[in-house]
Amino acid sequence: MTKRLSLHTRTTPAGPVIELVGELDHHTAPEIRAALPALSLNPGQQLVLDLGTLTFCDSTGITVLIAARNHALAAEASIVLAAVPDRVSRIFRIVGLEQVFLIYLTAQDAEAAWRPTAG
Amino acid sequence: MDVRSRNHVRVTGRTGAPVVMLAHGFGCDQNMWRLVVPELERHFTVVLFDHVGAGNSDLTAWSRERYSTLDGYTDDLLELCRELALGPITFVGHSVSAMMGVLAAAREPEAFAGLVLLAPSPCFIDEPDAGYRGGFSAEDIDELLESLDANYLGWSGAMAPVVMGNPQRPELGEELTSSFCRTDPEIARVFARVTFLSDNRADLARVAVPALVAQCSSDAIAPPEVGAFVHARIPGSQLVTLNATGHCPQLAAPEETAAAIAAFAGAIQ
Amino acid sequence: MSKTNDEEHGGAREDEGPVDDRAQFSALLEDSAEDLYEHAPCGYLSTQLDGRIAKVNTTLLDWLGYQPEDLVGRKYFSELLTVGGRLYHETHFAPMLRMHGEISGIALELKATDGSRLPVLVTSTVKKGGGGQPLLIRTTIFDARDRRAYETELLRARQAADRERDRLQALTTTLQKTLLPPTLANVPGLDVCAHYHVASVDEVGGDFYDLFPLAAGTWGMFLGDVCGKGVAAAAVTSLARYTLRAAAVYHPDPVAVLGNLNTVLNHEYNGADPRFCTVVFGLLTPDRVHGGFQITLASGGHPPALLMRADGTADILPTPGGQLIGVLPDAHISTTTVHLAPGDTLLLHTDGLTEAHTNAAIGGGERYGDDAFLDFGRALAPTTATGTISAVRGLLDTFGTGVDDDTAVLAIHVPRPHSDEQQ
Repeated sequence: MTKRLSLHTRTTPAGPVIELVGELDHHTAPEIRAALPALSLNPGQQLVLDLGTLTFCDSTGITVLIAARNHALAAEASIVLAAVPDRVSRIFRIVGLEQVFLIYLTAQDAEAAWRPTAG
Repeated sequence: MDVRSRNHVRVTGRTGAPVVMLAHGFGCDQNMWRLVVPELERHFTVVLFDHVGAGNSDLTAWSRERYSTLDGYTDDLLELCRELALGPITFVGHSVSAMMGVLAAAREPEAFAGLVLLAPSPCFIDEPDAGYRGGFSAEDIDELLESLDANYLGWSGAMAPVVMGNPQRPELGEELTSSFCRTDPEIARVFARVTFLSDNRADLARVAVPALVAQCSSDAIAPPEVGAFVHARIPGSQLVTLNATGHCPQLAAPEETAAAIAAFAGAIQ
Repeated sequence: MSKTNDEEHGGAREDEGPVDDRAQFSALLEDSAEDLYEHAPCGYLSTQLDGRIAKVNTTLLDWLGYQPEDLVGRKYFSELLTVGGRLYHETHFAPMLRMHGEISGIALELKATDGSRLPVLVTSTVKKGGGGQPLLIRTTIFDARDRRAYETELLRARQAADRERDRLQALTTTLQKTLLPPTLANVPGLDVCAHYHVASVDEVGGDFYDLFPLAAGTWGMFLGDVCGKGVAAAAVTSLARYTLRAAAVYHPDPVAVLGNLNTVLNHEYNGADPRFCTVVFGLLTPDRVHGGFQITLASGGHPPALLMRADGTADILPTPGGQLIGVLPDAHISTTTVHLAPGDTLLLHTDGLTEAHTNAAIGGGERYGDDAFLDFGRALAPTTATGTISAVRGLLDTFGTGVDDDTAVLAIHVPRPHSDEQQ
């Protein structure tokens, strides 16, 4: 099976930004999910998942987003999504996730909106 | 069940001409006939097919129950005749397929204009008490099954012999796929048992259509005396001994083989 | 090591071993092609096209205990083989060689004159003349005694692995069956049909459905999809199925049933490997006044049902805002009610159908999609439960290997009164 998803991580003062490129489904989800625990997050930081180049996401792919959310909440950090493609937001609507994640148009918007929480 | 795709049927040659159906034997597939087809196509409608379990047949159609006896193959053969509805055909059966032709013609003679039995053997195992010599003992057949197993690793999967799309040999043609002579080991084992353990000596006398027994001058699998036996038991049959040696005259001596088939099929149709 | 040491070493050798060196060197120079052929560490054999032996090297003669005159011009290659090997040669080896001009690495056994057997690996090529016409067959034979023992082990391991795989597939099939009802309940006045498409025989999938009686002439049904595959997903599927049935008996309000399941899953699975499902639960009540059935559907983040009307129209039945089950402590469940009149058909499905690749055979990445699915319903309406499921199965067949996730479909249909059905 050719790899159809890659993951690019960069760090900003606001916290890590993960860009998911490709298809997020049951072939690719386990690998990404396995990479999450190693992701360092400090309390008050914000994890941004940039989905601008995500071409596909099925119900199994959703587990990755939820695992990321669980990871962020456990670290007392927050999680937001950026640049959610139409296709993916349609699935979000079906599974009712659009109410669970804060969504920004772009990763830059998400970074700009972040405010450090007072000690 | 679509019989045509189940048996990967191909019909070529002259439309409306007498029909010759070519049935391959144990081990390979319809590509066995590729050297005789060009000649036969000039005179006949030629029907080629793969037995279920071989070549490009539908492997999902294979079951141990149906294909543990020659009857399953014979049923297939008669279904093919009905499906194609080409009228009485000349059936050319190589090796074990010759006996499928015998069984089918005994059951539905009206479907057949004639039978060509190429390197046939009604029974491979000797029966000394009956004075019959098939050429092999039961132990020999067990040994063949071991040989199949010994090449199981090599014949399955990625370690297959260098047969796939060899660019230096375009003459092999597209139809010659990697499947040639490679069979699922499980299927091969069952087919080997059917082939080498069947005894159809008693069925020969039931053939009531014209028959040609074509044997090779030297054949390790079906020796000349076996061909003579078949000829003697099928009423009114003809016997021709080809100059070809080995068990596969359609490969070793395609012109001679095609000529024998054409002469017989042309005369009876 | 220093340069000086090298020179010293070289100098010492010049004194001690010039004779050996020179003998070796001249032996190398004098090694004739003929000698190499005769005494090569493998057997060489040339035959005519019919297999009659024309030339054979000393190595092979020695292995088998023959004199050249025993073989050349007298015997066929296949006569050197065991009987089983000879059959194999005639039915596989020779045809392959004829067809391809070469064949390599075939395991056979040769018979020696003393009756012993020599396991060998045989490679043959057909030598051709200038015009491409085959002239003779060249065969190389390697002693494979050591290898054969190893291969026997390998073969045994392979067969054991095959048996294990069969066992696993049988187990998977059995497990899959336990997750689905053996037969759907027979609901008076309702035509019901379901289908489960298994995407992989090696892995149990996470789709599930059921239809079962509840108190006072009502019926419960559900269809859902647990994320993921394999045994872990199957455990969730099993939990979901039994929780739904138990909860429905306890309190058949669809929102309460799904709320119950949400609580159970949310407690059970959290953290880095979240498990959730999307599910539709329906409560079916016969409509004594208007005929047909009154259906209350609750959706927990599941793709909407497709409603195909008796008048030939079709549309999706939205259940907006329902959230997937098991992730959030207080998932929102949305409901909708619909009256299923005589001639109407309701189809529930999992996303394995809509996410199937439509042209997998040619490596395409196109997915079927919701729009095409709606068009499918519009083309099908009006229909029956059996008609719907058979059409879906046909659709899945056209996708072939493109259906890479399990797919469950459940259709319910209210038959028209008998007199109408005739028309």
